[in-house]
Amino acid sequence: MYLDINNLEISFSTPKGRFTAVKNVNLQIEKGEIVSIIGHSGCGKSTIMNAVGGMLAPSKGTVTVNGVPVKGPGPDRGIVFQNYSLLPWLTVYQNIFEAVDAALKNKTKEEKKEITEKYIQMVGLATHREKLPKQISGGMKQRVAIARAFAINPDMLLLDEPFGALDALTKGSMHIELLKLWNLENRSKTIMMVTHDIEEAIFLSDKIVVMSDGPAATIREIEEVHLPRPRNKKDIVGMPEYKIIRERLLSLLMDKVSIDEKEFYKGPKVEVA
Amino acid sequence: MSMQTSSPVLPLESSADLENKFLVKPILNKIAGSAKSAAFTLGGFTILLGVWYVISKLTAGALPGPFATLSVLWEMFRDPFYDYGPNDKGIALQLFSSLGKVFIGFGLGSLVAIPIGILMGANTFCNKLFYPIVQILKPVSPLAWFPIGLTIFQSAGTATIFIIFITSLWSTLINTAFGVGTIPADHKNVAKAFGFSTWKYITKILIPYSLPHIITGLRLSISVAWLVIVAGEMLSGGQGIGFFVWDSWNALSLEKVISAILIIGMVGLLLDKLFSLLEKKFSYNN
Repeated sequence: MYLDINNLEISFSTPKGRFTAVKNVNLQIEKGEIVSIIGHSGCGKSTIMNAVGGMLAPSKGTVTVNGVPVKGPGPDRGIVFQNYSLLPWLTVYQNIFEAVDAALKNKTKEEKKEITEKYIQMVGLATHREKLPKQISGGMKQRVAIARAFAINPDMLLLDEPFGALDALTKGSMHIELLKLWNLENRSKTIMMVTHDIEEAIFLSDKIVVMSDGPAATIREIEEVHLPRPRNKKDIVGMPEYKIIRERLLSLLMDKVSIDEKEFYKGPKVEVA
Repeated sequence: MSMQTSSPVLPLESSADLENKFLVKPILNKIAGSAKSAAFTLGGFTILLGVWYVISKLTAGALPGPFATLSVLWEMFRDPFYDYGPNDKGIALQLFSSLGKVFIGFGLGSLVAIPIGILMGANTFCNKLFYPIVQILKPVSPLAWFPIGLTIFQSAGTATIFIIFITSLWSTLINTAFGVGTIPADHKNVAKAFGFSTWKYITKILIPYSLPHIITGLRLSISVAWLVIVAGEMLSGGQGIGFFVWDSWNALSLEKVISAILIIGMVGLLLDKLFSLLEKKFSYNN
């Protein structure tokens, strides 16, 4: 068991009293798995992520990574934040280098430069290395953020709605890039991802964690995805398993969004001639 | 009835023409823009000179007119470096003396204000501790510190530097604290997630993010310091542009007083421009 979330509860004190974001969360993930967390806004997806990342401390329960309880952020878990979170005054190269420099303390400067170089090449940004974040597109920024997270060579990657702000085409190519990087590392890295996008979740994941609505959200169901890898977007859409999982996810997520016909019109009856 | 339409032939521009258009137009626009603003400046000064002339006529020469003043100013500029003893020095020497005091006081003040501002912005405890002091001392005219400076340093010149030091603290302090206090959580999370050392956090996140705010603070501080130096030197005597104003008044040369006012204004403008250039250079989101 690589990641073990046991009876996790996270609550915050607010001016209106205690607010419980998530509770009774139990989740086990094997090494090398890709897991998506999906659910409506405010269901505590990011809260679970942040607990695994060490940015939030559990109020109850435990989070164990590789047998060690999470006490704070660490270089064994690389985080890709929502909104990329690049430092605007640093170039593409510097954004990756400073993270590598901080996270890999026992490497020499030369080695750190080499690593930075390698990951810039991997995400195809070698020609944009001297540009500032404001000078590159959203997709490129996301690639920098992913390269930065991969470059510190973490065992686990935490992606918080990584492709949410991208257009459909860029999103598609970013999925491929992510899987490529994952393959290059022998699929040894565990990836945990928060998303809103059902197709994205099925295409990428081995497991899909569906959350119930918040507050005090918890895991509603875990779908296993056994589609063969490497996956091809065009091919898997036609597979029966894809359709079954998609239907299931839709029904889990959409039951509250359907319109009640009886409440549609409450005025006096209209005579139709 | 038949209608014949002939579509007008649109002349196709060659790519070279297009390129010319794109290159030349902005430059022309820029020249036109600066010509316009120069015309406005000129217009404003013409009105000022006119009003000045009329007032000097109305007071029957008690207030010297533009021509008398400008000829005195010209005389001052012709030999700015003369030195006939402690009470009679050229305008450039006076100006350099004032600028020297301003930069020493401002420099020392900034060296104190920036670190304290960073502490206040980064730490709520320090903020709660220092903020009331800043609130009470900020509205005090720096001249009120002059007697204290005199007592401590026993020298009018050093006391003047002391009041500039006090003057330079507040705006820098407040703006630095604001800058550091508003570092976005996103940036802090990056530092946390990748294990930035305190030193890396300060040099790669805290300073770059708050630098534009700090420079805005410095810009406000130096403008006030330049205001205060004139008053300070009128009080302290000795040397400097403020002393020059007071000395010229005692010598009943209003021409020199007005000339000094013009020079003080110009230098103040230059100082402000200098810091607004720095502001532009270090802002990262334009």
